[in-house]
Amino acid sequence: MVVGLEHFLILSAILFSIGLYGALAKRNAVVILMSIEIMLNAVNISMVAFWRYIAPALMTGQVFVIFIMVVAAAEVAVGLAIIIAIYRSRETVDAEQIDLMKW
Amino acid sequence: MLENFGYIGIFLIAALGFAISTITLPILLRRFHIVPKKPNPVKSSTYECGMDTVGKSRVQFNFRYYFYALLFVVFDIQVVFLYPWAVALGELKLFGFLEMLAFFSILIVGFLYAWRKGVLEWK
Amino acid sequence: MNLYLLAPEISLCALAIVVILLDLFIGRKWILGVVAVAGLIVPAAFTLALWGVNETSFNGMLVVDQFSLFFKLFFLVIAALVILSSTDYSFKFSAFRGEYYALVLLSAMGMMLMASTRELISIYIAVELTGISLYVLAGFLKDPKSSEAGLKYLLLGAVASAVLLYGMAMVFGLSGTTHLNEIAASIPAGGLLANPALLMGIVLLVAGFGFKIAAVPFQMWVPDVYEGAPTPITAYLSVASKAAGFAVILRVFYEALGPLSLDWGIIFAVLAAITMTLGNVVAIAQTNIKRMLAYSSIAHAGYLMMGLAAVSTLDPGALGPSGPGALVFFLAAYALTNLGAFIAIIAISNKIDSDEISDYSGMARRAPILSLALLFCLISLIGIPPTAGFIAKIYIFTAAVDYGLIWLVIIAVINTVISAYYYLRVARVMYLGTPLSEERVPSSWALRAALAFACLGVLFLGLYPWALLRIAETAVSIFP
Repeated sequence: MVVGLEHFLILSAILFSIGLYGALAKRNAVVILMSIEIMLNAVNISMVAFWRYIAPALMTGQVFVIFIMVVAAAEVAVGLAIIIAIYRSRETVDAEQIDLMKW
Repeated sequence: MLENFGYIGIFLIAALGFAISTITLPILLRRFHIVPKKPNPVKSSTYECGMDTVGKSRVQFNFRYYFYALLFVVFDIQVVFLYPWAVALGELKLFGFLEMLAFFSILIVGFLYAWRKGVLEWK
Repeated sequence: MNLYLLAPEISLCALAIVVILLDLFIGRKWILGVVAVAGLIVPAAFTLALWGVNETSFNGMLVVDQFSLFFKLFFLVIAALVILSSTDYSFKFSAFRGEYYALVLLSAMGMMLMASTRELISIYIAVELTGISLYVLAGFLKDPKSSEAGLKYLLLGAVASAVLLYGMAMVFGLSGTTHLNEIAASIPAGGLLANPALLMGIVLLVAGFGFKIAAVPFQMWVPDVYEGAPTPITAYLSVASKAAGFAVILRVFYEALGPLSLDWGIIFAVLAAITMTLGNVVAIAQTNIKRMLAYSSIAHAGYLMMGLAAVSTLDPGALGPSGPGALVFFLAAYALTNLGAFIAIIAISNKIDSDEISDYSGMARRAPILSLALLFCLISLIGIPPTAGFIAKIYIFTAAVDYGLIWLVIIAVINTVISAYYYLRVARVMYLGTPLSEERVPSSWALRAALAFACLGVLFLGLYPWALLRIAETAVSIFP
């Protein structure tokens, strides 16, 4: 069996769906952040696969992946900082208890 | 392509064999009475040649560790840019060098900020 | 590589760094606000000096044209107004003013980059630079509501950007390039339905950008974040962040996906109808003024999307402005109007320490000028002459009629009538209610200057819209 573009895309789609499910269904804010990381890494997989199979001459796909990794790290750093701030005032990171405001 | 997977298969079989044999061998030796059974409290404790554990393992860490971890993550990930830059520096010439210098001076402002705000001190 | 083309952004970044460093080494923090506002003159001067230039740089990643320059100036003006109006609010975080101003400036820089890139990687970086700065600003206060707003904004924003990235990956995979003009060249014939992968990519892009502009069904973060965030940041979010989202949507959809305009035009038309209806109907039930304006902002995202639905056709026989031209004009009018309303709210809520509409009872006697300004801005939000909101609505409705979207205009007019109810309810409480106390509402000169600028701008655009409309049409004339 030859591993081709479609296998990477299927893997990436499955990972993205797992991450999206986690981000929407989980209650712990830290776990939601981890699910978002899974989504971003799923995107990275498909980006690298597209680069390798569609446009291997340009470095665009790889550069895009590096930037996604760095920005994701910055995002997680900010996210954890906000979670610490909430934990210090509320003693919880449960997304269902962070509900002062509701329509 | 396929022979590479063959090597992986051999490694897999060897690893599985090692794991299974180390688990089954003591059981077999004991079953056929080759080794005697003489338990004592020291022998059956969790860490026979270490310290006994104190308290629960799920304790809360001081949140200062988080500050260090966050700072580490932010500064560490920037190194990702250094590798492609270092590889391509020959082509980028002076402009690439100055650009990286600008990038790092902005990072140093961030570091200076953390230092002046006392994040680096362990109070 | 012409660095001069990037001068506005570079000088703005330098300004933000100067503010951070000054904050570390000086004791008198009020200087920071002065430096931040005065320093904005430098990038604004660079932007004006570049006016008329039409060039690309950094291998076509950065583009300087009338469109990007118009939006750069727009974001700089909004950032200045937000910083001015923050002076009355900054006592709530007096130790952290430096970070606050620096983050406002950095997010303005991200928005300026959003308007002036034509390449997917830099669009993503700009979106995230804006986003991350705004996540921190939304959670800036110490109270739990603000932290909660920051967390919700961050989590939903990160999910949205992951979705956006997945769409970008699809587009990159189908075209093999990240440059918008090259993507346009590689779009296969046969429309969207013949290319399911492209359809998926476009749907994901609409979802990702729809989050930024608060379009239904990606609007669930808006009320909570707007209520919890510091009020100047709420104003900033509702105006600048939304405008940046529309700027990048115009750029991506016209430059990269222009050949498919018939397909995405109808997507935006349907989203516009749903968005404005939901925003206006739910706004009726609100008792908190920031929450009410949040739903009003969702509704306005719906009106604005009419400009996207009325795809530019360059038809010389058309009655009014083109769809994008009307959209840009609407953005400017909405920005001034909404900023004016929020600035008045900042001053009033500082005094009464509440955002409940019922606490505004009799405010006309305690703060006659602020109440008049708020009333004027609410009238502009409804769209009654002689205000900018009226002209903007006329333009965008005309553009939609020219494009043949009569059904959408009918829905929009019905929505406008509904919206009058909840805006005028605030006016009734302010003017006919009995005051809860006789104390006057104080305000600083900086805040009054910002409020005067916003209200006079609204009045000016209501009486003499031609100049700005001509600029807006020039700005969008770069799109085919």
